[in-house]
Amino acid sequence: MPVVSSWWRRTGFLSAIWQAALVAGVCLAGWWLYGNLVENLTRTRIPTDFDFLTQPTGFAIPENFGFDPSLPIWRMVLIGVQNTFLAGLVGVLLASIVGLIVGVARLSSNWLVARMAQVFVEGFRNTPPLVVIVFFSFAVFSFGPLPVFPEALDLKLPGSDSNWLVLSKSRIGIPSLSAERHTGLFWIIVVCGVVAAAGVWVWRSRRHVRTGEPHHRVLWALGSFALVVIVAFLALGGPYAWSLPARSENGRRLISGFGTSAAYLSLTLALALYTASHIAEVVRASILAVPKGQSEAAGALALSPFQRYRHVVLPQGLRIAVPPTINQYLNLVKNTSLGTVVGYADVTNLTRTSIGNANPAPQSIAVLMGVYLVFSLVISLLLNIYNRSVQLRER
Amino acid sequence: MTIRRTVLLSAAVVVALVAAACGGDDDATTTPAPPPATDAPADTAAPAPPPATEAEPPPTTEDTVALSQAGGRLAEVLDRGSVRCGVRDALPGFNFLTPDGEHEGFDSDFCRVIAAAVLGDAGAVDFVDLATSDRFTALQSGEIDVLVRNTTFTASRDGKEAANFVYTTLYDGQGVVVPASTGITDLEGLEDANICVAQGTTTELNLTDVMRSRGISFNPVTFGESSEARVGYTAGQCEAFTSDKSSLAVFKFEIEAGGGDEQFILPETISKEPLGPAVLDGDTEWAQVVQWAVMATIQAWEFGLDSGNIASATGDNPALGRFLGEEGFDPGLGLPSDFAVQVVSQVGNYEEIYRQHLEPLGLPLDGSVNDLWTNGGLLYVPPYR
Repeated sequence: MPVVSSWWRRTGFLSAIWQAALVAGVCLAGWWLYGNLVENLTRTRIPTDFDFLTQPTGFAIPENFGFDPSLPIWRMVLIGVQNTFLAGLVGVLLASIVGLIVGVARLSSNWLVARMAQVFVEGFRNTPPLVVIVFFSFAVFSFGPLPVFPEALDLKLPGSDSNWLVLSKSRIGIPSLSAERHTGLFWIIVVCGVVAAAGVWVWRSRRHVRTGEPHHRVLWALGSFALVVIVAFLALGGPYAWSLPARSENGRRLISGFGTSAAYLSLTLALALYTASHIAEVVRASILAVPKGQSEAAGALALSPFQRYRHVVLPQGLRIAVPPTINQYLNLVKNTSLGTVVGYADVTNLTRTSIGNANPAPQSIAVLMGVYLVFSLVISLLLNIYNRSVQLRER
Repeated sequence: MTIRRTVLLSAAVVVALVAAACGGDDDATTTPAPPPATDAPADTAAPAPPPATEAEPPPTTEDTVALSQAGGRLAEVLDRGSVRCGVRDALPGFNFLTPDGEHEGFDSDFCRVIAAAVLGDAGAVDFVDLATSDRFTALQSGEIDVLVRNTTFTASRDGKEAANFVYTTLYDGQGVVVPASTGITDLEGLEDANICVAQGTTTELNLTDVMRSRGISFNPVTFGESSEARVGYTAGQCEAFTSDKSSLAVFKFEIEAGGGDEQFILPETISKEPLGPAVLDGDTEWAQVVQWAVMATIQAWEFGLDSGNIASATGDNPALGRFLGEEGFDPGLGLPSDFAVQVVSQVGNYEEIYRQHLEPLGLPLDGSVNDLWTNGGLLYVPPYR
């Protein structure tokens, strides 16, 4: 006859008790810390609510001529979020491209290419990102050869009076697109183009399954999308036109084109290269994780080295690379907060300024943490969805 | 089935425990519940006045006394045997590190003044190096006893930052410096210009205010510290640099002495910048101690006492006698009766401190607003009696 233990001695019950005690302990500790904070703030009559978010900002934001300092602080936070996003997005794209190229280059059989990639990786990977950012800011821009506004370097288009590039120590102007006409209609057609491309993709896939002919669905889909967009662009008489960087009369302000600051470029380039060195190692490790026999078999099928990478090694290797790369992306986005040292108006920098201007620190930091949390969770979510879609499916 | 039951059970227990924890608020002895914002501070011995309106009741004397007894910063300092002084190690003239690692400057001397007054030893100072944006947090958290860091006395800092500014040690104003070669002579010449500025400072706010009121657009290039903003300006990231005029004079002096380009400080003074030590709100006793320690340097100057002659000085008039602590005069501030003698003999009077640190850097004392009231300046301290 099996021994029936008492209900309070069952593993399930005991573990539930322990878990509950732990949760309660954490809650109590949190409550105690929170109570402490509020009590201390109240004692010194520092506000404990979030009303400061609706107070006027009071200070101007770098590289945001349009920002009115009387706008409330939450608007300032939004500008910071936008700047962080801009640095993070461009940084992630650049880091991915450079990282992939360098990672593959490290495994090249060409001695020079492999060594150069190694120097790049070892150089950036073993330097703190802050140092890299400061190096770009001071060595490249501040003490570099570029002139100071208003004596910026205007690089003219050949045979024309307009610039295509304006260079200075603090601000760099590049051409941008300016909206001309029918932009709404144009974007509706672009969305239709995406739908059409998806249709073509499905059609090519089905045809491939039916007839066994090569589908080339990427080429077909991209081709049909490009066709729709180009025809729409021409038919609407050019909804967008190039806006070349030009300077105002006193020479200090860019009145057209896209103006970007030395701070932004230092931050984005430094973080992109720093993170690229890590991504390169991830890529290299993932490629090495693909059994050598795969590559050899592909060689036996007379595939060229490029085809071997494109069709056999990378599809298997990059699948392994996705989870560690998500980490690198998260790191890059969080590292944009280092832009503070070079004066980039990211959300951390602006929050610090606002705290310095008599706004309550605990609440401001809470908002800041919330912003980064949302950024990181969104990145994780998107990339985890992607990761699931490329995972090996057992059939 | 078992798993399901376990989950349910643990959920139930958690809910019960949390409810118990939250229910415990009612007797305030176990859990430190956050007092509602409308209430008076929790430590008050007297019952809090009923919160009739949303506005906070003004602090009563009882509150302050209760708090100062509870906080007891003076007792803490005496017990510790040193004064924790919040400074910045990169402000030439105000506080910087000598090659021997000594703190030298106007601000660091006032830290020593406080230590000499309270502890009788000008060397009993722990200097805490603080970044601009961290200085008030350090004060609020009690990490430092006093902030002597070129900090401007403003209403929001007095109110929202819970800082209690004592006697102003330097009356300053904000200015703008440009390279003389640019030929810029007024703020209008800086339309759309990049201007280097330290973030989170009144300097940044004043600049924004004055430019807005005159309709001049500009681009602030912000740096975490004034010293970093200077490097940015020197490197050519900006066409102008703004800071307190005292700092600008020091800066101009250093650049030109180092063989750099000639600098021009715009004649306009765009703000009032009273700089002085600050302590945390709510401890009147400690605030008074710091206040009188600082004022002793000015009173000594008025009496003509300096570090050279104070040892031999005698109270030939009663006011001087009280100041020197003769006959054990004690106004009840919590300071030793000979504190003024300690301050002046170990550190010096105001004039000595100023002339030693600021005059060599191009900031003359005579005839400035920082002269004694008897010479037409603003320094005027209440009588010590």
